[in-house]
Amino acid sequence: MDYDVLVVGAGIAGMESAIKLGDMGKKVLLVEKEGSVGGRVILLSKVFPTLDCASCITTPRMAASIHHDNITAQTYTDVQAIRRSPDGGFRVTVHRKARYVDEAACTGCQLCENACSVSVPDQFNYNLIARRAAYIPFPQAVPKKAVIEREGTSPCTDSCPAGIKAHGYVSLIRSGKYEEAFQLILEATPLVGTLGRACYAPCESECTRGDLEGTLPIRRLKRFVADRHYAEHDGPGIEAPAANGMSVAIVGSGPAGLTAAWQLARQGYRVKIFEADKEPGGFLRYALPTYRLPQDVVEQDIRNVTALGVEIATETPVRDPDALKLDGFDAVLLAMGTPLSTGMGVPGEELGGVMGGLDFLRDLRHGTLPDLGGKRVVIVGGGNVAMDAARTARRLGARETLVAYRRGREEMPAHKSEVDDAEAEGVAFQFLVAPVAVVGDAMGRVQGLRCQRMELGQPDASGRRRPQPVAGSEFVIPCDVVVAAIGMAPDTANLARLLTLEGRRVKVDAKTLQSEVPYIFAAGDVVMGPSDITQAVGQGRRAAHMIDRWLQGQEMSGFAALDDRLAVIDKAKVMARQTSFSHRDPVTLHLEHQQAPRDFQEIERTLSEEEALRGAGSCLDCGVCSECGQCVAACPPDAIHLEMHDQTYDVEVGAVVLATGFKLFDAALKTDYGFGRFPNVITATQMDRQLAPTRPFNTVLRPSDGRVPDRIAYVSCVGSRDKTMGNPLCSKICCMYTAKQNQLIMGALPLADVAVHYMDVRAAGKRYEEFYEQAKAMGANYIKGRVAKITEKDNGNLILRYEDIDNGGVITEAEYDLVVLAVGVQPSREAERLFPDETLTLDDFFFVGEADEDLSSGKTNLPGVFVAGAASGAKDIVDSILHAGSAVAQAAAHLEEAGAKKVTV
Amino acid sequence: MSRIPRDIREVIREEPLMHRHILKAVAAGPRTVPEIAEAIGHPSEEALFWVMGMRRYGLLTESKEPTDEGFFTYAAVGGGVAR
Ligand SMILES: Cc1cc2nc3c(=O)[nH]c(=O)nc-3n(C[C@H](O)[C@H](O)[C@H](O)COP(=O)(O)OP(=O)(O)OC[C@H]3O[C@@H](n4cnc5c(N)ncnc54)[C@H](O)[C@@H]3O)c2cc1C
Ligand code: SF4
Ligand code: SF4
Repeated sequence: MDYDVLVVGAGIAGMESAIKLGDMGKKVLLVEKEGSVGGRVILLSKVFPTLDCASCITTPRMAASIHHDNITAQTYTDVQAIRRSPDGGFRVTVHRKARYVDEAACTGCQLCENACSVSVPDQFNYNLIARRAAYIPFPQAVPKKAVIEREGTSPCTDSCPAGIKAHGYVSLIRSGKYEEAFQLILEATPLVGTLGRACYAPCESECTRGDLEGTLPIRRLKRFVADRHYAEHDGPGIEAPAANGMSVAIVGSGPAGLTAAWQLARQGYRVKIFEADKEPGGFLRYALPTYRLPQDVVEQDIRNVTALGVEIATETPVRDPDALKLDGFDAVLLAMGTPLSTGMGVPGEELGGVMGGLDFLRDLRHGTLPDLGGKRVVIVGGGNVAMDAARTARRLGARETLVAYRRGREEMPAHKSEVDDAEAEGVAFQFLVAPVAVVGDAMGRVQGLRCQRMELGQPDASGRRRPQPVAGSEFVIPCDVVVAAIGMAPDTANLARLLTLEGRRVKVDAKTLQSEVPYIFAAGDVVMGPSDITQAVGQGRRAAHMIDRWLQGQEMSGFAALDDRLAVIDKAKVMARQTSFSHRDPVTLHLEHQQAPRDFQEIERTLSEEEALRGAGSCLDCGVCSECGQCVAACPPDAIHLEMHDQTYDVEVGAVVLATGFKLFDAALKTDYGFGRFPNVITATQMDRQLAPTRPFNTVLRPSDGRVPDRIAYVSCVGSRDKTMGNPLCSKICCMYTAKQNQLIMGALPLADVAVHYMDVRAAGKRYEEFYEQAKAMGANYIKGRVAKITEKDNGNLILRYEDIDNGGVITEAEYDLVVLAVGVQPSREAERLFPDETLTLDDFFFVGEADEDLSSGKTNLPGVFVAGAASGAKDIVDSILHAGSAVAQAAAHLEEAGAKKVTV
Repeated sequence: MSRIPRDIREVIREEPLMHRHILKAVAAGPRTVPEIAEAIGHPSEEALFWVMGMRRYGLLTESKEPTDEGFFTYAAVGGGVAR
C-alpha cells in the first residue's frame, strides 16, 4: 500500500480531511487539479458571519497540507481512474500534468509572467482580468510555483518541417518584440529572410484562423521581422561561442548545409562548407528566381552563418568524403541537393535549344543563357520548377511561353499560387499532352515539340490519376526552345563505392541521418529527393543535432524540435473556447502582375508595421502558450523547461475521500438577466474577487467603464430554487454571502446604495440571522420580489423590472449602476467519472450521494469511498469542515476495520 | 448599449497588441478608462480589460482618488516606454 488514503480535491474540505488524517498518522495522497491548493475559499474576500479574512483562515491549512509529514500533495494533477484492488484497497491512476517548471528551482518571482506574450482570461478572478500563459495561480498560491499553460502544439508550429515556432514569433510580433521574433526563428535556421519570401508556408494551410475568414500572413510576418533586423544589423546579432575543439565538414551550401553549419557553429564546432558552385546558397542562389528571392536577401542570411566563423570554400567540389576525414574533420555531412536535371528520354533531346529546367535557371545566373528575345518557349512539366522557368522565360522576352503538362490542372504538383501567378504573367498552358520527340531543322535547331494527347486513367501510387496516351493524337507544337522541367536528381555516382544509394539518393537512418559509415551523415534533398526549403532546413537541424550527439558520445536521440513536440491541438477545441468571433479582414497583398514582365524586381512587398500587427493580432493562440521562449529567458534560476512531459502512474491506497467541491451556476443561462451581454451584470463570485485584498481592480469598479458604482443591486436565487433552470434546491450560501458583500461594499464604498432583490432570506445558522440584520442596519435595502428582467441603457446602467411584493405586488422598475447575481451552487459531476468499474450513486440532484445521510454522513454507496464538503451538496465553510471531519472518521474506521480483517485472516 | 460585447477571450488576447496604443494615450498625462477608450477607438469595457491587465503587470498605475464623476485615472509606470 503506497498511501492509506487518497483525497481528491484540495479545497477546504479536502485540505481539512488530509490534515486530520495526517494528524492521525495516516499516509495521505492529496491530489488537486489546479496549480495550487486552496480551492474556492482562498479566492474569497472575507467569510460570513465572522468577517474573518478568507486568507487568514485558509493559508495555514494550505501550508499544512503541503508541508505535513504524512501528506504528499500533488497540484496540477488529476485522478484518471480508481479501481478496486483484490486486497480491498484501490488502485488509483494519477495523471500529473506537466507544469513545464521545475518546482524545486522556481522561486515564485513572477518574472516569467511579466515576460509572457500570451494573455488569457484569469479563471482565479472569474474572467474579470487577464493573466498570462505563464502564471502563478494567485498571490497566496501554495506551492507558489509557476505553471505554463500548454494545451498542445499550435497547428502552425506543428506543421513546420523546419521546427520553427511559428506561433511563438507571431505572438512576439503582436507584443511589438520584433527582434525577439527574429531571434526565435534564428534558433532554427539562419535563413530568416529567405523563408520569409520563398517558403511554401504549410503553417498557413493549417492556421486555425483559416477556418474563419482566412489564415494569418505567417510567412510574411517572418519576412517583416527579417527585413527590420537586416535594416539595422549586418549578421545575426549574436556572438560566436567558444570553440569546442572539434570540426565538421559540410558538403553543399544549400538550406540543409547552411542550417547544419549554423547549428554546429553555435555549439562551438569549427565548420567548413565545401561548395562546388561559384557562390554559396545552392538552389537559393542558382534556382530560385530573384523576383521571388532577391540575392541580397540570400547573402544577408548567409552572413549570419559566416559571422559565427563558418568558412565557405566555393568552387570546391568534393568527390571523396573520406578524404575530408583524413584531412582531420571529425564528421562529414553530405548536403549536395539534387543538382541534375532529369531528361525527357525522347528523340531529339540533344538538339540545340533543348535544356533541363534546372540548367535553364542556373545558366541565367551564370550569364550563359542564350537570348530568348522573340522566341517561342515550351516548358515541359507541371511542378514549381516548371513555373519558375516559365515565368523566367517571360521576363527574358520570350514571344510565347507555353507549359505542356501530361495531366490536368488539378493534378499539377506546383503550388496553386505559383500556377495562378504564372498565368497572370501571360504564361499559357496545355494540359493532357506528353512529349514524344523534339523536332529539329537541318541546322540541328529546335523547330517544334511533337506531343501526343493524354487521358487520365486509374490513380497511380501518388494518388493522382495516371495519364494514358490517346492513340493517333500526335501533333506538333511549333517552338524554338524546349525546357524540360520534369525532375531533378542527386549527383552521387562517385559515392557508390563508399555508401549505399537508393536510386541516386544517399541511404541514411531516417531519425539520425547517419549513413553506414558512422562519421558520414547526409541531409536535405540528397536524402529525400526534390523537396522544399523547410524540409531541407529541418534535416539540416536534425543532422547537426545528431552529429553533435555522436561526437559527444551521447545517445542519438532527443531531437525535441521535431521529434518531441506536444500533440497538435484539436482545432475544434480552439474554436469551442469562444462563444463568438468577430470578423477580421485577412491581411492580403494584392500583387500587381504584369502580362509581360520585363525585369526580375521582387514582386511582393514587405508588410507595413500596421499590417504586421493587424495580422499577428488575429492569432487565436491555439496551443495557449506560444513557445516564444520569453519566460525561459527571463527566469533567473532557469526553472522553465518546455520539453517536460505529463506523467501517468498508479498508486495503491486503502480508502478514498472525494472532496471535489461544487460548480457555480452558469449565469448566462438565465438569459433575462443579460449576464455576458451587459458588462455591468456580474456574478457574486466576481464581486467577492473585487472585494478581496488581492482584487483584480484597484477598487470595486463597474466593468463597462471603470467607474466606481453608486447604486448596486443584488438579485438572489439565480439558478437556485428555480425549476426552470433545473434546480429546485436552495443553495444555502447565497443569502449569507450577499449579506457579507453588502457590508463589505458599504465599508469600501461608503457612499454607495445597496439593494437586494430577494424571494426570502434563509439565515439558518449560528449568528446568521444577526449577520443579515447587521447588513440591513448598515443600510442595505432588502426588496422582496423576483426580478423578471434586466435591460441595459446606453450609459451601461441597468433597469431591473420586478414585482414589489411589500408594496402590493406592483410591477416596478429601478435603475442601478451595477447588478450582482447571487448565483447558486450546482453539482460538479467530477467524482462519478473516477470509477470506471463501479457506479458511484448520486442523489436526486446529482451531488455525490450519501448512503445514509442522517446517520452516516460522508459514507457513499461504495465501501471505502467517502465524500467530504460541497461535493455532496451545497455547504458553507463551517459545514464543509464539519463534513470533512465526518468523512475522516468514516475513513479511519474503514481502515481500522480493513486492517483488523487482514489480521484475522 | 445595444452592441453585444465581444467574447472576453478575444478581447483579452489583444492586450499585448494594445499596450503601445494605451501607453501613447496616457503619454501626455493620466487618463480615465473612457478617455483611453476614446483615444484608442475601442469600447470602454474592452479598454478596462487592457488597462487592468497592464496595471496588474506593472505598466500602469492608478490615481489615489477618483474624479468627481467616480473615475480613477491611469498613468504609465516609469515613463511607460511602448515597444
Ligand atoms: C526552381 C526552384 C524553385 C524552388 N522554389 C522553392 C520555394 O519557393 N520554396 C521552397 O520551400 N522550396 C523551393 N525549392 C526547393 C528547395 O530549393 C530545395 O528543397 C532546397 O534547396 C534543398 O536544400 P538542400 O540544401 O538539400 O540542397 P541545395 O539547395 O540543392 O544545396 C546543395 C548544395 O550543395 C552543393 N554541392 C553539390 N554537390 C557538391 C559536392 N560534391 N561538393 C560540394 N558541394 C556540392 C550544390 O552546389 C549546392 O550548393 C525550389 C527548387 C527549385 C529548383
Ligand atoms: S513560451 Fe512564451 S507564450 Fe509560452 S509561457 Fe513562455 S513566455 Fe508565455
Ligand atoms: S491562429 Fe495563431 S496559433 Fe493558431 S494556427 Fe493560426 S497562427 Fe498558429
